[in-house]
Amino acid sequence: MIQKWFSRDIMYLMADIVVNVLIAFLFGSILLGLHRKVMARIQLRPGPPIIQHFLHSLKFFFKETSFPKTAAMPFYVAIVVILCAIWVTAVIVGPVSQGSLLIIFGVYALYKIVEHNSGSSSGSPYGKMSCVRAVFSAAAELPLFAVIAIVYLKTGTMNIAEIIAYQSVHGALIFSVPLATIVFFVLILSKSPYSPFAITKGKDLVSGYETEHFGFLRGFLMLSESMSWYVILWVFLTIFLAPLSLVGYLVGMIVITAITAIINAVTPIFNPNHSIMTQISIAIVGIGGSLLLMLIA
Amino acid sequence: MNKLNFYSYLFLIISTIMLLYGLIFNPNDWIVYTIAIIFIPLFILSLGFITMAKPKKEDEEERVQEPFIGF
Repeated sequence: MIQKWFSRDIMYLMADIVVNVLIAFLFGSILLGLHRKVMARIQLRPGPPIIQHFLHSLKFFFKETSFPKTAAMPFYVAIVVILCAIWVTAVIVGPVSQGSLLIIFGVYALYKIVEHNSGSSSGSPYGKMSCVRAVFSAAAELPLFAVIAIVYLKTGTMNIAEIIAYQSVHGALIFSVPLATIVFFVLILSKSPYSPFAITKGKDLVSGYETEHFGFLRGFLMLSESMSWYVILWVFLTIFLAPLSLVGYLVGMIVITAITAIINAVTPIFNPNHSIMTQISIAIVGIGGSLLLMLIA
Repeated sequence: MNKLNFYSYLFLIISTIMLLYGLIFNPNDWIVYTIAIIFIPLFILSLGFITMAKPKKEDEEERVQEPFIGF
């Protein structure tokens, strides 16, 4: 675990947070670059270099930026700051302090609100359509809450540090609640780029709620998305496969990124109805099955 | 220096001071969390406003026109 390497005995809490936020951004953006690379190779394209996502995030900070007349200022800019703030919060609750899973759920609920408001504040019809879909796809966040409930029923706690301690005694949760693991994996899949479930950013909407955020605002959004990808993988590995070493996290994140890239490369995007219904169906089967397995065992 | 640049530098300085305060003086955890959640995004935002390229004066109007007005 990263915080063990940057122990509180050596550095202050603020340094711990800054270092973890930087790691989340750097490693998250490299993973997203790897995601594009794997997708390209599956589709028989050379694809961009793995560091391309990272370079783009920085490059956009120097691009010409202006604010559309139809944008609802200052909300149009503020929403980008809020997106970064919620992922800094997630880094604090996850890798830094190993706090409550409920706050992580709260972060995902807020993320939906950000998607919604980012689309509506731009004034573009593409953004507005994406904003409507963000409300629609909020139903797909319910499986996350259900997974947290299953983990609570199994371990008796929602605290990440205590869940790690539980797993070091009883073994990884992936073996005792495998169906809940699959449901969480589908959630990761829905958050990955070019996902079959990514209806808010479907190419029929150009770039969805991000369409009108260009220049440095796009770079800022990409920076937050890198952190978000790192955090969701960290949470998955910590809840279901802990305790892991630094190398374990590294390998786990790379493997999950590659698997999602392979799935996304060969799967077309669903229409909104099918996307939600598929996710909800998998969640119902997964959660119902998990409860049944727990009753039998 | 225009208004946007002035406020960008102001917020950059404020957020840098707050982050350094957290780094050097190690206040209570809740203060550090508050500083990190508010001032890390604010630091990046103000940096972005400073580093971004601005449109030329003659192109300014054209850049902010929305092609979709009227939908």
